[in-house]
Amino acid sequence: MAVNGIHSQPDTAALACGQDAATVWDRAATGRLGTHDRDCPHCRAVADDQRVLAMAIDALNDQAMEPPPSLVDHVMGAVLTELRPADYLPLPTRHGRARIDRIAAAVVLRHAVDQMTALRVRSCRLHLIEPLASPDTHTPTAVWVHISVTARFGTDLFSATARVRQMILTAAEDLLGLPITAVDVDVVDLFADPARGTH
Amino acid sequence: MIGAADLDDLTLVVRAQEGDTRAFEALVRRHQRRLYRLAVRLLGNTSDAEESVQEAFVAAWRQLNGFRGEAAFSSWMYRIVTNRCLTLVRARRPVLALDELGEQADPEGASPEQAAEAHDRATALDRALQQLSAEQRACWILRELHGLSYDDIAAIVGASVDAVRGRLYRARCTLAEVMAPWR
Repeated sequence: MAVNGIHSQPDTAALACGQDAATVWDRAATGRLGTHDRDCPHCRAVADDQRVLAMAIDALNDQAMEPPPSLVDHVMGAVLTELRPADYLPLPTRHGRARIDRIAAAVVLRHAVDQMTALRVRSCRLHLIEPLASPDTHTPTAVWVHISVTARFGTDLFSATARVRQMILTAAEDLLGLPITAVDVDVVDLFADPARGTH
Repeated sequence: MIGAADLDDLTLVVRAQEGDTRAFEALVRRHQRRLYRLAVRLLGNTSDAEESVQEAFVAAWRQLNGFRGEAAFSSWMYRIVTNRCLTLVRARRPVLALDELGEQADPEGASPEQAAEAHDRATALDRALQQLSAEQRACWILRELHGLSYDDIAAIVGASVDAVRGRLYRARCTLAEVMAPWR
């Protein structure tokens, strides 16, 4: 740094005028130079250095530098080879065995609730609360769903959570053929709607 | 209908932790650009940068259940990528391949002379960056090119805020000296 009369220390530097060079630099970078900074030759030198580097930084940032399109494919290819072992829920059936992957079932239920613009599903877990049915019996399953959502600020939470519960029960029955015993709904956070200017 | 692009990082992380690979893919798409730019500046070439960012995302997938959300997902990824790049840099001398880096976008309304000068200025700064120690370079890039706070940088590089301020100060001294002819 072209700072005259600097008293160098390992991590910082006091200018000859007593100001801390790093602090003056930060003030210059944020356009908050004071009267002293502008009048003092030592502080002005720091501000000049900051200005020159800022111009070079702008030029550097203007360089188009995009990741190759294959990056996402390569990452997801590796991810898909490392999926955890499938974990199935039994589906009630009179004709042989039917099962559904627990993660796939959760995706279906999340998708159903995602139709509601006032809510966003964060977590959706399905728990089997009765012993696994043997493949050759018709033992009914009992599945408990625990779902956590974030809600748009100002949403009627009582009505919204009731609707979530109903959508889960309907989607599980209609799309999965999976009877649900209970649905627990947690509202874990609120989010702002930029269009409405809520925070 | 809400798409993955409408969801915040924490929601996508929780979904990915529960096995939803599409949620993780949305995180990769959202963060790949800034992490790639970080890696290119730290490593000085695009092929190592691409590999490092890929490996960092795969490592993140493996460690995702350990992510508790105390820090932002972006900070967590910055830390993984920075550490990988610093390990690579320490293991070998950086290879400068400036021509591989992106074309300079002509600033709107800039004359050919101004565009050429901006290109030269950027090239000079990029070369100067390679003169810094890996630790100084990481702090400088995270601060000046990614706009992170001292606290965030300290958490990412695993150093105190005072140490970050010191590295930044020394980096600025070196860069200002190299860039003095551009005054």
